[in-house]
Amino acid sequence: MQFFIEIVISGIFSGLMYALVALGFVLIFKASGVFNFAQGAMVYCAALAVVGLIDFGLPMWLAVIGSFLFMVLIAISTEKFVLSKLVNQPPITLFMATIGLSFFLDGFAPIIFGTDVRPIELGIVDEPILSIMDSTGIGISKFDLTASGVIILLVVVLALLFQYTKIGRALRAVADDHQAALSLGIPLKNIWTIVWCIAGFVALIAGLLWGSRNGVQFALSLTALKALPVLILGGFTSVPGAIVGGIIIGVSEKLAEIYIPPVLQDFFGGNFGGIESWFSYVFALMFLLFRPEGLFGEKHIDRV
Amino acid sequence: MSEANTILRLENISLAFGGVKALTNISFDVKEHEIRSIIGPNGAGKSSMLNVINGVYHPQEGTIYFQDKVRHKMDPTQAARQGIARTFQNIALFKGMTVLDNIMTGRNTHMTSNFLMNALWWGPARNEEMKNRKKIEEVIDFLEIQHIRKTPVGKLSYGLQKRVELARALAAEPSLLLLDEPMAGMNVEEKQDMCRFILEVNQQYGVTIILIEHDMGVVMDISDRVVVLDYGKKIGDGLPADLMKNPDVISAYLGTNH
Repeated sequence: MQFFIEIVISGIFSGLMYALVALGFVLIFKASGVFNFAQGAMVYCAALAVVGLIDFGLPMWLAVIGSFLFMVLIAISTEKFVLSKLVNQPPITLFMATIGLSFFLDGFAPIIFGTDVRPIELGIVDEPILSIMDSTGIGISKFDLTASGVIILLVVVLALLFQYTKIGRALRAVADDHQAALSLGIPLKNIWTIVWCIAGFVALIAGLLWGSRNGVQFALSLTALKALPVLILGGFTSVPGAIVGGIIIGVSEKLAEIYIPPVLQDFFGGNFGGIESWFSYVFALMFLLFRPEGLFGEKHIDRV
Repeated sequence: MSEANTILRLENISLAFGGVKALTNISFDVKEHEIRSIIGPNGAGKSSMLNVINGVYHPQEGTIYFQDKVRHKMDPTQAARQGIARTFQNIALFKGMTVLDNIMTGRNTHMTSNFLMNALWWGPARNEEMKNRKKIEEVIDFLEIQHIRKTPVGKLSYGLQKRVELARALAAEPSLLLLDEPMAGMNVEEKQDMCRFILEVNQQYGVTIILIEHDMGVVMDISDRVVVLDYGKKIGDGLPADLMKNPDVISAYLGTNH
């Protein structure tokens, strides 16, 4: 039982890390109806900017602020040079533009900040907390706990922002109908810049946490792929959905890794390790069949 | 009505898309507090006219005077800030949002808190939210939609959606309200309600209204003055009773449709 609990807990933690990346997608999708393929590249970019600036001799906190400003710059230029030219175009056009953007960022950031794989030192140790270890026998890493706290706080703040403020309503309005939003005096371009800045901020947090765990390297750009099943589960338009989806994916993935291979081995023989790496995609695919809009996504009801 | 100020004056407006002329040399004016209707067969350029007024289209020729000032080229956002609100022919509500949230978006131009204040849910932003919530409750009461406040608009009947759209436009406290076929697709009862609301908006709150509508009975009943368009040209302008006698208007529109 204790083993089971430990697996579930580690699943929750890794799920929250996925959720963090998924969150960036949700924000932009919610506000512009666009699947931002460049979200992973933004995570990579932000993390690279942090280590790059540290290499230039800046202290950690200044490097983080500098990286955020860099993300804001990316947000503003994206709006100015890409999105604003594509107002009222179909979503697929915008999606293609974000693919281009992701290639650009993947190539551009290393030119400025270097390509070496470097660690990020956040100063939080990745070791089990002893008091919990002693009393329950379950190992919970201090890093995981802190990271989860940060992620949950971020999600709560963003969810409230979307639900109960003028900006939140404006973001959702823009996503739904450009023309109507404009006629109400909602400035489309400002809204896009703001949402890309928020997505940049989320990417920065993700870059810091993922980067300090795995080192800052190109593979960060691919963490985005891990967010896909989370999005399918949680729904593309729901901020809390990203968290729930992330936890479900994280836990089921870990459980599958432990409990499925022995069963398969009994039937077929051979080695069935590494289920973790593809299980979530199959899971999401099956989920699509039953609930295409996700657990919390907006169901579009069109009266005919 | 004679001594009322002119709120909007259009002079020699021409609009073309490529080679297609949508509007040709159209002039008319709208006086404060009146209900000015635009009628005409399908494709006559009525909706284009509204889109010119709220800045979606920019006419190639002509001058627009709004509140006695020449209006330069502007987009719908700026028009909204100057007090022009509108509804759309095919309802343009935010379908996933509740009725309340939809109407609150109408208050956008009256809310000045910036992003940071919103994000921190800081005092001024919170007060502003509360104040505007009170304001839209007036609109909700007025249009009798209290019972659907929390419903996502996608789930409402067509007639109710039209009413919510009107509520959203009214929430902006416009000085000029553009209504693009507010009664299309409604049954008799819903139409009567909508008529009542439009008249009350006009009389109680003094909002100037430009109305596009196909139901001749309605137009003749509630309009102060009517413009008739056909193939992008103005073929009549005046009091409803006078237009009924105008042979051009009868042949273009009334004759074929009644």
